[in-house]
Amino acid sequence: MELKGSQTLAATPDQVWSALFDRAILEQAIPGCESLEQTSDTSFSAVVKLKIGPVSARFKGDVELSDIAPGLSCTLSGKGSGGIAGFAKGAARVTLTPQGAQTVLDYTADVAVGGKLAALGNRLIKATAQKLTGEFFANFDTALTCEETAPAA
Amino acid sequence: MMASTDHIGQSHRRENALRHLAGRGRFVTDLALPRMVHAAFVRSPMAKGKIVELDVTAAAAAPGVVRVFTAETLNPICAPWTGTLDHFAGMKSAPQNMLAEGQVLWAGHPVAMILAHSRAEAEDACELVLLDIEDEDAVVDGDAALVEGTPLVSDGIASNLCYRTVLETPGLEEAFSNAAHVVEGRFTFGRHTAVTLEPRAVVADFDPSTGQLTVHHGTQTPYQFQDVYAHQFGLPDNKVRVIAPDVGGSFGMKLHVYNEEMAVVAASITLGRPVRFVADRLESFVSDVHARDHRVSARMAMDAQGTILAMDVDDMTQIGAFSTYPRTSVAEGNQVIRLMGAPYTMPDYRGRLSVVFQNKVQTSQYRAVGHPIACAVTEALVDRAAEQLDLDPIEIRARNLVADDAYPHVSATGYQFEKLSHHAALAKLRQMMGYETLREEQAALRKQGIYRGIGIASFVEITNPGAAFYGVGGARVSAQDGAIVRLTPSGEVHCAISVTEQGQGTETIIAQVVADQLGVTPDQVKVTTGDTDTTPSGGATWACRGAGIGGETALRAGRRLQAQILAIAGAVLQAEPATLALAEGAVIDRATGQERITLAEIGRIATYRPDTLPEGCDNSLTAVQHFAPTGYPFDFTNGIQASHVEVDIETGVTRLLKHWVVEDCGRIINPLLVDAQIRGGVVQGLGPAFFEECMYDDMGQMTNASLADYLVPMAGEMPDIEIAHIETPTLDTILGAKGVGEAGTAAAGAAAMNAVNDALRPMGARISQTPMTPLRILTALGHV
Repeated sequence: MELKGSQTLAATPDQVWSALFDRAILEQAIPGCESLEQTSDTSFSAVVKLKIGPVSARFKGDVELSDIAPGLSCTLSGKGSGGIAGFAKGAARVTLTPQGAQTVLDYTADVAVGGKLAALGNRLIKATAQKLTGEFFANFDTALTCEETAPAA
Repeated sequence: MMASTDHIGQSHRRENALRHLAGRGRFVTDLALPRMVHAAFVRSPMAKGKIVELDVTAAAAAPGVVRVFTAETLNPICAPWTGTLDHFAGMKSAPQNMLAEGQVLWAGHPVAMILAHSRAEAEDACELVLLDIEDEDAVVDGDAALVEGTPLVSDGIASNLCYRTVLETPGLEEAFSNAAHVVEGRFTFGRHTAVTLEPRAVVADFDPSTGQLTVHHGTQTPYQFQDVYAHQFGLPDNKVRVIAPDVGGSFGMKLHVYNEEMAVVAASITLGRPVRFVADRLESFVSDVHARDHRVSARMAMDAQGTILAMDVDDMTQIGAFSTYPRTSVAEGNQVIRLMGAPYTMPDYRGRLSVVFQNKVQTSQYRAVGHPIACAVTEALVDRAAEQLDLDPIEIRARNLVADDAYPHVSATGYQFEKLSHHAALAKLRQMMGYETLREEQAALRKQGIYRGIGIASFVEITNPGAAFYGVGGARVSAQDGAIVRLTPSGEVHCAISVTEQGQGTETIIAQVVADQLGVTPDQVKVTTGDTDTTPSGGATWACRGAGIGGETALRAGRRLQAQILAIAGAVLQAEPATLALAEGAVIDRATGQERITLAEIGRIATYRPDTLPEGCDNSLTAVQHFAPTGYPFDFTNGIQASHVEVDIETGVTRLLKHWVVEDCGRIINPLLVDAQIRGGVVQGLGPAFFEECMYDDMGQMTNASLADYLVPMAGEMPDIEIAHIETPTLDTILGAKGVGEAGTAAAGAAAMNAVNDALRPMGARISQTPMTPLRILTALGHV
């Protein structure tokens, strides 16, 4: 299943870039995120609770960042296991393009699901994935804005 | 003729319909036993992989959980089973056991079983099982599976090829080289599945104090499962009782050995308490057998007059990770290659079959095993030949169908036909559907841009099978049946018989047959089925045998009891039994028809006053009879179907306008139920022709495993189905009945595919893949 999209964020590419590697921001932004740990400079491990149609599951997974061109692009790849709900794995290529004071984030993701998640049909999953992506960016945008207005720690 | 024939041949409503309508059905799903625990399974989300870690500690401690089993703790008490048979020479399949051992082989493969006080608690605990699978590349395509270098589907096999065979007549090559015309095609038949109203259901109840295992099992073959449970768990078979009460649909899907049912029995034996498993719809889709999944390339040779000279067929069928037990997954393909061209006087033939493993759910027997594939391929080629020779589809069939007076006839594939009625059926169909008028209407509507199509398909159906099907290959599958008929002390009748009831009306027709032997009405005959402790052992329901074999068994048992009753009556009345007969609940004088003594009085005397019978008079009012078919290995039936469709060439949507069936199942016991069987069968043939398909992605994940995405045919989409009959009784039995359960399914899809292609013909488009979805039709039209 391919997911593609573009999001305009109210921050500069550098701000967006550092937010993408910021554990606290990601934890706020990922829908249903229960915990997020940074396991190295380029990897995270997460527990995320999701409901997709009738299947609700807690996914445990690892995300790895690679092909890093700082401030410009990177690839996130990961695999999450949701127990009996099945699994999801995939990779997303993210690129950042400045647009005035804002940044356009483009992403192309190739996602595969298995088990009950697959059985429920791509139709349902694609819609859910799109909704979750939308939520992620809304949260991400909010987190970015908050960070900007918050006093430096 | 001693017995009256008052009820055989009459329409009687299904005896259990009222009970079901009143909500008084007794399904395994409804059963609750004291101390019963509920099973849920942790299934592999991957199509193939190695189990790296399986930790059930947290699940075992979850609320309500009684026990958690893994392969290590459950499998040792059950002998593995292997789905091969000797008469499929060289076939291979890996041994199976209940829970996956080290390797998972399809998405849905059970890995752990959790038993809890409720299904909900068992499911919750499933979420706590830590299952880590290192996934491997799944083999998802049958053609790819056979390419060298492709990984093996499982570690238990040496090749992805399960079985290969070739049937060939000596004149094949010559027939093709002498042919004036050769037509050919490549066909794809999708996977689909039964989608029974009641999913698979089992409650196993082992009593350690007596060693008695009772399994309440929603199956069509209780005696087979009695034998399977006894053998796999090392129990004496008289300590294994299988009870199949009301069964909410079966269609062949519920006669295979499944991991879950075996695991439930194993768990009950281990725990000494009842264990219940009822599949939910999602797990049904990834654990019930699927059906079909064939790719066929075929060609047909004709002479200049349109006489079929030969067919050359290659079928590749994809069966999943294992061949099913105990009937194998080869039977389907075997019937595909043997039924090709069956209605026609085709002298030469070659059929090649390759049965191939893949990492998917097993495919196996489902209503009309192999028939729809053989029929669709044959009939599509006949239509292509008609087009090439510019012959009407009816005319080309009339030239090639085996003549009605040319029997017995042996097909090019070796099937022996006792007597069929293809030409009479064709003539009746033509008249019933108003063929010429439909063709005129079709031509007129085409001018208005309305594309209607007419499709015809002749068929032959295998019924009343003897041991040639499975028994000769070593399968412990009974080809005989048994009945116990008794007269009660009050003069009513009870019949316990081994053929079973899944809603098709078996019990009703058995009551009709028995009633006529004993001079009573069918409602005076209580019929018991589906319990291995209270009925004689037999084949039960498979491959169309309830009426033909079960009916004959009941008839012979009834006649045996009739003779016993007349002997007692003769003794009481001091009359020669030969001068007496049974009618209207009494013994009558054969010559005058005058009542001599009632059955109630016979029952009373034999039961309560046997002392009044003369010395040496046997007072038995119970008769037992078993019957195994002899004569022809199968009693073939025949028929012809026609489909009328309208294809919207802008949207690709097909509207089914009408469907006709002319069918010859020999002696008809109950016209109402025969028509119901045909109608249901047609719908199950049209479903996969247009709607039903188990879709998989390239990782081996089924992507439409819910009723939100898997389309089953609904009443609204179904056409009116008009049915007519020809009766050619088999002479192998007294009753003369053959089977009818699969006739509708055998040719409905073939007729529909010919109809769609007839509609598409003006556009030069053609479809040869099922289901014929709007997208595929638009693709055939070149619109997408």
